[in-house]
Amino acid sequence: MKNLMSTKNKVIAFLASTSLVTMTMVALPSAAHAADPSCTNLVVITQCVGATSDGAPYVVQVPAKFTGTLFLFSHGYRHFVDIPVGIPLVGGYVITNTPQPAPGRTVAEITQVATSMLGKGYAVAGSGFARQGWNVDSGLKTNVELIAIIKKQFPKVTKVVAWGESLGGFITQALAEKYPTLVDAAAPLCMAAGSVEAALTMAGDALWGLKTFFDPTIVGSNYAAGAAGYAQAMGDIVKVLTVAGTLQAAISANPSAPAWPATSTVPASLKAIPSRSALVLVGVMSGVPTQSAHFDNSTGPGDPTSSAAAASAYVSYAAAISPALGTLENITAAAILGVMATYDVELQSGGTVFDNTKTDYAARLGSDLYTYGSALSGLDAASGMLAYLSPLNPAAPRVVGNPTAIAKMRALMSHTGKINVPTITLAAVADNATPAGHVQWLADRAAEQLTASRAAAKAAFLAGGTYVKPASKLMSIWQKTPTKYSKYTAAGSPDTTPAGANGTGHCNTTPAQNLAIADLAYAAANTGQLVVGGKLLTTLRKAGGLSYDPGFQASLLKFYNKG
Amino acid sequence: MIGSKRKGLGVVTTAAIATSALLISAIPAHAEVGVSSSEIKLGITLPLTGPASPGYSKIAPAMKAYFAYVNANGGVNGRKITLVIKDDQYIPQQAINLTNELILKDKVMAMVGALGTANNLAVASKVQIASRGVPSLFVNTGYSGFADKKKFPTTFSLFPSYVMEAKAIATYVKENLPTAKTCVLLQNDDFGADAAAGFKTGGLTFTETIKYVSGTQSSATGQTWVGKFAAAKCEVVVLFGVGSANAIALGVAAAGGYKPQWILGSVGSDVTTIKITLNNPQATALMNGAIGVSWAPDSSDLTDEYVKQFREINTTYNAGAVFDNNVMVGMNEGLLVVQALRAAGSNPTRKSLIAAIEKKGSTFATAGYSTLAYSATSHVGQTGFWFGKYNLAGELKSVDGKYTMYTTDSAAGPVVKAEQKRLPMPAKGLPSNS
Repeated sequence: MKNLMSTKNKVIAFLASTSLVTMTMVALPSAAHAADPSCTNLVVITQCVGATSDGAPYVVQVPAKFTGTLFLFSHGYRHFVDIPVGIPLVGGYVITNTPQPAPGRTVAEITQVATSMLGKGYAVAGSGFARQGWNVDSGLKTNVELIAIIKKQFPKVTKVVAWGESLGGFITQALAEKYPTLVDAAAPLCMAAGSVEAALTMAGDALWGLKTFFDPTIVGSNYAAGAAGYAQAMGDIVKVLTVAGTLQAAISANPSAPAWPATSTVPASLKAIPSRSALVLVGVMSGVPTQSAHFDNSTGPGDPTSSAAAASAYVSYAAAISPALGTLENITAAAILGVMATYDVELQSGGTVFDNTKTDYAARLGSDLYTYGSALSGLDAASGMLAYLSPLNPAAPRVVGNPTAIAKMRALMSHTGKINVPTITLAAVADNATPAGHVQWLADRAAEQLTASRAAAKAAFLAGGTYVKPASKLMSIWQKTPTKYSKYTAAGSPDTTPAGANGTGHCNTTPAQNLAIADLAYAAANTGQLVVGGKLLTTLRKAGGLSYDPGFQASLLKFYNKG
Repeated sequence: MIGSKRKGLGVVTTAAIATSALLISAIPAHAEVGVSSSEIKLGITLPLTGPASPGYSKIAPAMKAYFAYVNANGGVNGRKITLVIKDDQYIPQQAINLTNELILKDKVMAMVGALGTANNLAVASKVQIASRGVPSLFVNTGYSGFADKKKFPTTFSLFPSYVMEAKAIATYVKENLPTAKTCVLLQNDDFGADAAAGFKTGGLTFTETIKYVSGTQSSATGQTWVGKFAAAKCEVVVLFGVGSANAIALGVAAAGGYKPQWILGSVGSDVTTIKITLNNPQATALMNGAIGVSWAPDSSDLTDEYVKQFREINTTYNAGAVFDNNVMVGMNEGLLVVQALRAAGSNPTRKSLIAAIEKKGSTFATAGYSTLAYSATSHVGQTGFWFGKYNLAGELKSVDGKYTMYTTDSAAGPVVKAEQKRLPMPAKGLPSNS
């Protein structure tokens, strides 16, 4: 499984070692005041580095042929503590605040995007932020200061586009909401939106589900103070990965009726249900997509037209097993990020911030109960599993949050959803860390604003004024998954060697896709209008894998699904 | 003074109206998605391959054949109907993907006859056909929930619901087999849950209830079911599964010499499916003597004007496919779609199509023996069933020769027996009534 944080590590390693023109390390300042940036003229660009008053390092690159438009990038979630080398997938991470001026999955992609943008005459900039983890309030302060520093250093900056990935997308929207005079357009990419509570609820539900069904020793929340809490969080990552590995092995050995992990303490009657069905239940009730990098949740191995038996096996696999494999591939990454973010926000808030004492998981399931009926092994099995998760079952204790900590968490920066400047979102329909429901929440708020604007325009017209047709300021661009993309070996085993499919994974965007969004944002910043019509479609087509579909609505996060 | 004030107000009002008219006229005429000057494009998802395809796979080609017949006779207001057919293999997740394709890539005006309860529920939830305003007409499922206009405002049911069917069966059993030990086979999903609710409302209790998970039906599971029915000494067994499940139960029971009075639900009584599932052209003999329930005439009833007309069309436009209940269902849906399109006006839109069915749908001709219940507040189609017995050829013959209809609703309403009543088949099968 692709590991987001290890990718970022590679980026950071690159940034720390390279002398490439687009990147330079910045020494942390010792004073609480922002020093003037240190600038170097590199013929085709001017590069400045420095640190804001909170100690956040930044880099700015301005091309010689400058259009006047600056792109301020906010990087995504970086773990706020080091992770020991021995931990699989994410071990060896060392906390860093190295600035990142552009989006990308690898060092090469970040460089490619930044270089291409400079070639178009756009300036690029990004901070490494003063603290890592969930850092919206801090990141916002840094960005506001950074814009002033850049404008002072480069008076030719006439337009500012704020953009960012994942948590950086949250910061981007927050910046556009709170400081609309500082930015002319915004482009949150694979964003988290709404509130930290909405984002953490998915993680909390998933971790609690994995704990309750498969390993009650997973802590999941209410981490202890100090070193003990750190050890619990690191231990949770190992346990989650162990559960995932065990389930994967069980499904490989017996796809129809995989065994439950030995760590599970559910009663034998529940273990009569295939463990893959419990996994799917945890995934869908949390909002983890069933489509993953290598599993399209709807096809199986073999040729279904070769015989009746082959057709039956194919459909059974497609309907019941593929969603489990997709969930498994997604939930691992989601759970690791969930452990770290929960641990982080608990430390910031002073206690347990997840509370599922009143959560109705049947309501969370909603129509997914029918969509994934076969994967859940039928209604009775689903009912049995949901009954086990009931608050009345002492064997499945709910998590009781700390009211003071929850209040403190809720005081962290949240979005209002107000769209002040032309905004272009880019999101994957099957993002495993920030599902499409994040963007949908923002799109719903934008739709409400458009409705209100229309009513106001009509009222103004009827009052004798001029009718000005309101236009939406938000455009949602989607990375949609192909209809079918699961691959199988000749022996019928899943083949996970191909690159992850478009529309899956977290921030799994190509440089061409990111550059297309940059071009659209540039036009929006300079005209005050979103690009529409043929120009929009041509831009998306050339980038590949992007679609604009105003009728498309993703499912909201389960946090909002109260039943 | 009063007059002059009125005059002044009139000027303002006239100006406002004129400006409004200007605004309205400045908006270009909206050409509906999927409708051109020469074509109306429609879409359907259903299983063309996979274990659920036998029988069901014939519905879309039959509908297409009916449209070809209408097209050959001038189309609908001069427009030809094109039906884009996609194979979802009866997998909800595929239905979601393919419906998205139909709407976004093929740009169909409406979905017609999309098949399967779970598939339609999944599509409604994930493709959001309602918020997109895409009509989904005459869905091939009897799930009672689709009659909820608030929840599914663009979806129209056609079949009487599974709840209605279960209530009708409950009434029939209580009237005709009041002392028998009765048992039931149900699918463990929304389809089975709907039926279970109907049996409960109808007051029929079962000695043994067996539920199977869709896709798990096999000879092995069939042995288990039949073993349980026999052990419980079930004298009447209601097979309310899909055709492949019912076929397996019939086959296993026959092999083991177990002979209860079977009652076959309408979903799982398709002759083609039963023959293919058991890989036996003579498998219809297993149905002999079983009680059946249907909302429309049996496709073998050559005295029925709908059957006769559809058979003629089938011969010419459907490459002579074997005419069975699925072919008849497909053609009947085509007949309803054409009436709806005609009723939607000379330049039909998605909105006018929905409005037309709500306004005129109850007057549409249909092969079903009960009138259609469409109205501004109801998206319910047929509302009743008749009972018959299957013969050796798998043909359902009325038990009373009169096709007495057991009509009801999907709630707690009573089951009312009535004479069958329907509108005549339009002349030559070409609607002119809408």
